[in-house]
Amino acid sequence: MAETTPHSFGGSMGLSSMSLSKGFVTIVASTLALILLCIIFAPSAVTAGSLMGSLPFAAVLGIVGLGQMLVVQQGGFDLSVPGSVSLAVVIATHMPNGQDAGLLPALIIAVGFALAAGVLNGIMVAYFRLNAIVATIGMNALLFSAVFAISGGVPRITTNLLAHIAGGQTLGIPHSVLFALAILALVSFGLKKTVVGRRFEAIGANPKAARAAGLSVKPYQAMAYVAAQILYCTAGILIAGITREPTAFQGNSLLLPSVAVVVLAGTSLLGGRGFPISVVIAAFFLNQLSQFALSIGVPYSAQTIVQALALVFGIGVYSIEWTTRFKKEQTSSTEEENHETV
Amino acid sequence: MKLSNLKGCAAYMALGLGIALSASAASAEDAPSWCGPNKASLALLDGFGGNSWRLVTTASGKEEAAKCPSITDYYYADGQGDTQKAISDINSMAARGVDAMVVFGDAGPAILPALTKAYRSGAVVVPYRVNVGGEAGKNYTRFVGADFVYDGESWGKWIKENFPDGANILFLSGPAGNSQGLDELKGMKNILDDSYKFLNPDPFAVTNWDPSLTQQVLSAAIAQHDNIDVIVSDFGPSLVGALPVFANFDRSIPALATSDGNSLGCFWEKTHADNPDFKLFTVATGNDNVRLAVQWAIAEATGGTPPSEEIFKAPNFEDSTDGDPNPVQCRSDLPGAIYLSAQLSGDEQAKAVGQ
Repeated sequence: MAETTPHSFGGSMGLSSMSLSKGFVTIVASTLALILLCIIFAPSAVTAGSLMGSLPFAAVLGIVGLGQMLVVQQGGFDLSVPGSVSLAVVIATHMPNGQDAGLLPALIIAVGFALAAGVLNGIMVAYFRLNAIVATIGMNALLFSAVFAISGGVPRITTNLLAHIAGGQTLGIPHSVLFALAILALVSFGLKKTVVGRRFEAIGANPKAARAAGLSVKPYQAMAYVAAQILYCTAGILIAGITREPTAFQGNSLLLPSVAVVVLAGTSLLGGRGFPISVVIAAFFLNQLSQFALSIGVPYSAQTIVQALALVFGIGVYSIEWTTRFKKEQTSSTEEENHETV
Repeated sequence: MKLSNLKGCAAYMALGLGIALSASAASAEDAPSWCGPNKASLALLDGFGGNSWRLVTTASGKEEAAKCPSITDYYYADGQGDTQKAISDINSMAARGVDAMVVFGDAGPAILPALTKAYRSGAVVVPYRVNVGGEAGKNYTRFVGADFVYDGESWGKWIKENFPDGANILFLSGPAGNSQGLDELKGMKNILDDSYKFLNPDPFAVTNWDPSLTQQVLSAAIAQHDNIDVIVSDFGPSLVGALPVFANFDRSIPALATSDGNSLGCFWEKTHADNPDFKLFTVATGNDNVRLAVQWAIAEATGGTPPSEEIFKAPNFEDSTDGDPNPVQCRSDLPGAIYLSAQLSGDEQAKAVGQ
């Protein structure tokens, strides 16, 4: 089993379908526990009105997290999240300048920028073998210069149409949540049920083995960055709609949480299998955690600590192989016992 | 005025380039008393120039400087939120031999050594609005602060007037522990007794002045408290995205005491009919603080008469209950991200924010 090797590439490749991944079970259990805690200690955090207010932000984080997951699956890191989300926000609010008619061209341009940034990131990392962190942090600076060039750092008010599309509700469900679910379905289907997706995961788990098996590795690795940028861009456009008057730096607060949800969802930072559903649940978890902290009225310092502890918990669960450690100790002690009885 | 032609240079500002301008256009006869006869150059140094409030403030500072024909050169630099860059901006202006500097010290005491060096090398140094530590006459010429306690007192008086029997108040401010929020709270407590209860964790609910965080904080607070009578916020426009959250709970938006912004005024106009409890009171958001600082710097550098005030007190601006001093203002033809309380005209502001 892959789990017994010290440097497993994210466990089994998912082809021999395991029952339920550890990440999924853990995050679902944690989320249920959190909801229970909310019901007992902060019932206001789980009322319909409160969820209507906070779920859109969980949805945005989920979408950004899915993008980060694709990159992490290829053993990379994408630090250009703040720049690309902010750029999408700025383009979606500045170019239409309050006019609904200008919205569609603006969205097309935003996607165009995202594609260009993704392709550049992909080429730098996959083909020129630049370190992903270095390449994407450079890209982030480039994207922010575009943010300044377009906006001068000044926010503009969202068009009514975008506010309705991204911030509206249908049957009591915020549209942004529907967007997140649709994107989740798309990413899951693409990863798990298409040939391209299966190859993508296999390459992430072990590029050398995949190369030996005759797959061309580089296009798949580059693809991760392109798809990620498209997802960040979508998230940025949604933020522009949800927040009536977004700042030009709206992406800044998303970088760390985007990595956090990927880790909490059990994706190995060395690459390999991705868990889209777990990522989205983790986004809900993190968001609900801060709502919980806000509702019980703890000071800001404690809110930050609670979130940090959640991260430590997440990393602790996945990075340390608790079960194998436990088993080893058990076997050795039984061996000792056997010796004694002999 | 010739200066207005150059106000569209927002992109250059973002790059932090100093823009040299000739201000000789203003004629000598209408020079104000703070503008003395000695020639001088002036630099406006911003710690972070990337939002509409700062752009309006920068344009206001430039307009004020242009009133004085003795100012031969005008420079601007944007620290872009980077303490290192803010420090090197100050040093390079000092090295260039600029006579007077007006500094928005976002980084606080971290820039004090650079200010002290510039002051000792002979320049007039006027930090404003953000306390940088040190003392006047030793580390810099004069600190032109803003009186946030006064803002808090203005809000407190209005709350007392409209809720004479006590009220539940939700107070939102910026980053944790920011001195502006603490001073405002002090001001409110000077006016309001114990019958006024603050629902937020002490001293204020942290929003970082970020619209999306404000939205999350507000929805948690609304769910938690059934009876919020007044919301107090020191950055009114950041609430525009968050206030519709009340509709999710089938509740009216409560009374709001805050600072002004065009988008907020227009939001009130659109929504107050459906929200019977939505009264709005604003104080000026303080763009004109820079004018006072520029007057001080120019007076000291050119030998003019310094202004009488040393601290900027934001005047009341809008009150939806009695229209004193103004009813709620909305210019829907202008961008939302401008401040009608500022002296700079709405159209000039629109130009300053690049629209």
